[in-house]
Amino acid sequence: MQAVAILSVLLLLLFGAWLAAILDRAGNALVAGDRVRTAAVRPLHDLAAHLSRQTTTTEAPDRLNWRLAPVAYLALAALGLSVVPLAPGVVAADFDAGIVLWGACEALTVVVVFLHGWSANSEFPLIGGYRYVAIGLPVMLISMFVLIAAALPAESLSVAAIVESQREIWNVVRQPIGLPLFLLLGLSLTLRGPFDYADSDDLIGGTRAEASGAQLAAWQFARLAMLASVSVMASAVFLGGYLGPVLPGALWLILKSGVVLAVLIAAGHLLARMPPSRMMTFIWTVLLPLSFLDLVLVGAELLIWG
Amino acid sequence: MGLIDDAAFLLLSTVAILSGWRVFATDSMVRASFLLMMSFIAVGLIMLLLAAPYIGLATVFMMAVEMMVMALFMVMFMMNPAGLNPMMMVHQHQLAIGAGVFAFVGLTAAVLFTDLPDDRVDPGAPVVHDLGVELLGNSMLIFETAGVTLLATMVGAVVLSSRSGRFGAADEGSRPPGLEVGGEPAGRQPVQGGGGHHHHH
Repeated sequence: MQAVAILSVLLLLLFGAWLAAILDRAGNALVAGDRVRTAAVRPLHDLAAHLSRQTTTTEAPDRLNWRLAPVAYLALAALGLSVVPLAPGVVAADFDAGIVLWGACEALTVVVVFLHGWSANSEFPLIGGYRYVAIGLPVMLISMFVLIAAALPAESLSVAAIVESQREIWNVVRQPIGLPLFLLLGLSLTLRGPFDYADSDDLIGGTRAEASGAQLAAWQFARLAMLASVSVMASAVFLGGYLGPVLPGALWLILKSGVVLAVLIAAGHLLARMPPSRMMTFIWTVLLPLSFLDLVLVGAELLIWG
Repeated sequence: MGLIDDAAFLLLSTVAILSGWRVFATDSMVRASFLLMMSFIAVGLIMLLLAAPYIGLATVFMMAVEMMVMALFMVMFMMNPAGLNPMMMVHQHQLAIGAGVFAFVGLTAAVLFTDLPDDRVDPGAPVVHDLGVELLGNSMLIFETAGVTLLATMVGAVVLSSRSGRFGAADEGSRPPGLEVGGEPAGRQPVQGGGGHHHHH
């Protein structure tokens, strides 16, 4: 069963990344009046184009960290996803402290994105890396609080127990502040939309400004795979995961994750980006207190009705 | 299972020692920070082998955040552009070597002469639950005191070391330049009467 789960994690990342790339283009094509039909193959064309180009280098980069950053990013996406139960009893890494493992993956993602920007030894990637640390770390704190709130009703740090605790009522209903805050973390972890301070256009690509060829393809794929990973985690922790009537559990998880993925991509395209300093103020004075409030409300609810 | 555990322990401890050594042999603050992080991650994974999953993973994630912040602050305060310029990572060589040898001998003696427990943890034992009861029970006062003390130390260290501000010394009241020559300071105005004296021209 564990072998099936491990294989499923890899397939989820692969097809999740492909679906994300399709939706990313389909939205734009729809708005622009282009043909949506080609959106499914366009990501593959882009991938082939990247792979056929040379991988260039800069003057005196930290080559080890630069080349390994996309690999580590992808590994973190897979590792984080491995603790999510895909169906009752089917989990790649059945781990008591699964939600803490996910937290560790979030923290290491900040390090990996920073190293990707730092190790290129070039201005724009470096600025992207530093800017991302300033924004990425507090956003990660927010997700810690909402994940602790989600673990409270389950009285366990295991993701399987958190899913099972939602048999009566989903966490998105019980703690409505949690899911939107967790989705913001998703945007931040995948360098997307309003939280894209690392790889944004104002820095001509930020941390990936000097990347090309296979390295760039790997980096972009890792970002999309992380998006798939975040979507599955969000649907497990807040939307009841594999729980649902009639259909088999795994299908429910895939459907819910697909919806979350679409919402994340839409949010990435529709929400405007603030200047980094204003975003910092917004995170520390509005979003972080909101996550405290979430935790306090869940605690009070459990004390009164639990 | 015993063989795999032993192999994993040997591998992880080798990584921990080698990356710990490289911290002092590298020439960049950023590399030193993340080599130290790697050393700690290896130790955290050894904790997993010792059936302490929460402590192991908490080590990984605390060290990831901590080393990231450390790298950032070191670069900010040390005036080494982005930590890319090569610099010596060690100083006070003789004292450092002496302290290192002393600590190594002391710790080795402690390990060799201590009667360490060797009973395996029952795989079904609620280790995370027990740790939670311990942390939030009798030991809570100790942990909370240590936590607040560390926070106060960090804030104090930053305040003491960041006197030179963008528009002059921080304790003299900083005034951004005006939009016109000799004009009123632009941007946010410092609060009247709060900290330091104000210049009048």
